Amino acid sequence: MRSLIGGLMGATTLAAGLSGAPVAAQDITITMAAPDWPPTRFMKEYFDQTYKSPNGGNTVLEMDFIPWPSFYERVAASLTSGEQKYQMIVTDSQWLGAFVEGGYYMNLTDKINADPELKTIMQDLHPALVSAYSTYPHRTRAQLEEAGEVPAPGVNYYGFPQFPDTYVTYYREDIFCHDGEMADFEAKYGTNLPCTYEDWQDTDWAKWGQIGEFFQRKKGEMLAGETLDDDFYGIAYQAGKGYDFSTMQVNAFVWQNGGDIWDESKAPEAQAEGVVNSDVAVEAFDEYLSYLQYMPPVAQTGQMDIFVIQDLYMQGKVGAIIDWVGLGEPVLDPSASKVHDKSAFGPAPGTRQADGSIDRTGNIGGQPFVLTTWNSDEVVDEALNVVKWWLSPETQLEAVKNGGQSGRMSVMADPVYNDLRPWNRAHVEMIDWQKDVWHIPEFFEMLTQQQEEFDKAITGQITAKEALDAVAEFQQELLEDGGYID
Amino acid sequence: MANENSRTGGFGAWLLDPKRRGALLVTPAITILFVMNIFPLLWSFGLSFFNYRASSLKVPTFRGLSNYERVLTDDKVWERFQTTAIIVGSSVILQLIVGFLLALMFAKAFPMRRIVLMLVLTPMMLSFVSVGVFFKLFYEPTFGVVSYLLSNFSDDRFVVLGTPAGAIAGIVIADAWMWSPFVMLLVLAGLVSVPKYLYEAAEIDRASSWRRFWTITFPYIKSLLLLAVLFRTIETFKLFDIVYIITEGGPGSSTETIAVYLYRTAFQFFRTSQSSALAYIVLFIVVVLTNLYLYAVNRRAEEVD
Repeated sequence: MRSLIGGLMGATTLAAGLSGAPVAAQDITITMAAPDWPPTRFMKEYFDQTYKSPNGGNTVLEMDFIPWPSFYERVAASLTSGEQKYQMIVTDSQWLGAFVEGGYYMNLTDKINADPELKTIMQDLHPALVSAYSTYPHRTRAQLEEAGEVPAPGVNYYGFPQFPDTYVTYYREDIFCHDGEMADFEAKYGTNLPCTYEDWQDTDWAKWGQIGEFFQRKKGEMLAGETLDDDFYGIAYQAGKGYDFSTMQVNAFVWQNGGDIWDESKAPEAQAEGVVNSDVAVEAFDEYLSYLQYMPPVAQTGQMDIFVIQDLYMQGKVGAIIDWVGLGEPVLDPSASKVHDKSAFGPAPGTRQADGSIDRTGNIGGQPFVLTTWNSDEVVDEALNVVKWWLSPETQLEAVKNGGQSGRMSVMADPVYNDLRPWNRAHVEMIDWQKDVWHIPEFFEMLTQQQEEFDKAITGQITAKEALDAVAEFQQELLEDGGYID
Repeated sequence: MANENSRTGGFGAWLLDPKRRGALLVTPAITILFVMNIFPLLWSFGLSFFNYRASSLKVPTFRGLSNYERVLTDDKVWERFQTTAIIVGSSVILQLIVGFLLALMFAKAFPMRRIVLMLVLTPMMLSFVSVGVFFKLFYEPTFGVVSYLLSNFSDDRFVVLGTPAGAIAGIVIADAWMWSPFVMLLVLAGLVSVPKYLYEAAEIDRASSWRRFWTITFPYIKSLLLLAVLFRTIETFKLFDIVYIITEGGPGSSTETIAVYLYRTAFQFFRTSQSSALAYIVLFIVVVLTNLYLYAVNRRAEEVD
């Protein structure tokens, strides 16, 4: 596989040489809006250390690091104000529709078709990522694969993966692999407590609930041979009202049970009512809600978002969490995490199917980066050079070593890949299961209303059915008004 | 060349003429006011009659009063107004009670009074964001201090923000903690302005404490109390930061104030025209309250005169 990577590197270098570098050496500054976290911080640092522009000029990458909680608002405000500050933007995949329709994100289809190196990169990217991060109007992975060629004819491409993310299980090896705890768990439930990666591969939601119940301990009780000085909880996953901090997990339950969300790729025939609130979806949402009782009490407030569960885990309050790979690096940092030397990672649990296999379909995380429409030809060319540099196998491997992830299948297939970071094996396994939510401009209204209704159910104000009925009714009306449903 | 210089000098002299100096001095302020306030105000007023979305390239069309009609017939808007009214009412009452009691305490001399007074005033000097984050952590049920302290009396963790009533109480307490010192300052100003001889006369007449308060103290502070009520009502009506940080409007939408809803409509949903219409309705309410405030100020001025 190393030779494949080497071959690709050679091919891309040759392609770059054949396509011809820009004639004039220019100094170019690219300002990029980026969320403030390790994957983007590394990109800036590594760019400053290694990037050499093929046009011979001096290229400066200025990253505008924006805190996650205000990232969407800051980018949206900048774009709609017309200040034209950014040449490149790290964007959530859901924003594509809003900002493509607004005329801010550049259609890169022609550029990709005209550039063999970019074409090679696109062909090597995981199709789930191309579907979620790049296409608008949205095309599913199946639709892209059906087309048989990359780029697919009639499809518009906008983004490249800056950081592909999936959620995986973070767990405490010291308690999950403790002989006494393992024996007690087996005695109580008649099944094993997952300790190794392979054990987690066989862990479904039912066992996840058992783990939650088993490890819920009060202050003064014993845990793995030690007396607890505070309450302890077995499990946690996202259940927050903000942004998409419950939708991402609820969707996994719905999809794994055979339900669906409104499918934009089948508009205008696809309906919201009857689909979003189908019996299967209600049952799946009910299952999601049923495990909250075993989670830390912050779950009862609807504020248990991805950062809160990461923090609770790092403080040693929870045995296992399901969280994004992108939040893994601080967990291993001795200065920030009490469990830095006790943590291991596995695939997220899934739903057991009739044949005994486990469906782990999940909602994709991570972000693509895009170019903006007001860039000059010189800036566009140089921005695409930056894209090629970032997605080159050697840069991707370096990024992975430093807590990033790669979207390139050839890089992920490298035998060293799984050992570069402890969550890589789980990430590679999970990425194949990924799907995405909607990409239409109205996504934020749909998301906010859905989050509100989910939050009411999470905090016990309404039932799963009432929540999904309200979501379906709202989406049906909004989508009919917007012309997405006939 | 000589003529040109004299013309330049002539213009300079004309410009700096004492008759024009006043206008010259206020021109920058008025320009900034026009660019930053008046123009956006008029522009957004115009937008409220169209169907404009800041995130869309579609050419906006004139919609007349339909945005106002949509806003005023939207159940969600009325729910948010109700939530705002509950938070404003509860918070202002709590601020009045706490502020009044603090003022009574600080009206008397006691050891280290100045230092304690300074500490009590600190919350209103903090930023909204700091107060929001502080209370969010305070209420956090797993490792927050409220839950920790109460865990000594109960097996279960105390979850303040888990119910609509608890979440509203959490916001009201945070807002009252921050702004009660402001009410205290106003009331204290009234208390120290009461002439001492009135209390001496009341003591000679053997008036009860309540009668002294009702017939001497209260008349001096009632206009200031009204001022405090109006000022805090106007401010709390626009409450955004603390709500957004502590609960994000949850659980569900039970603490979503009209300011938070307006923000979502404008900057998350990009219903720019609709949010402009809502903003003008909110502005109208604030203008009415401000006029009441000015009326109270004038009345106070007349009383002092």
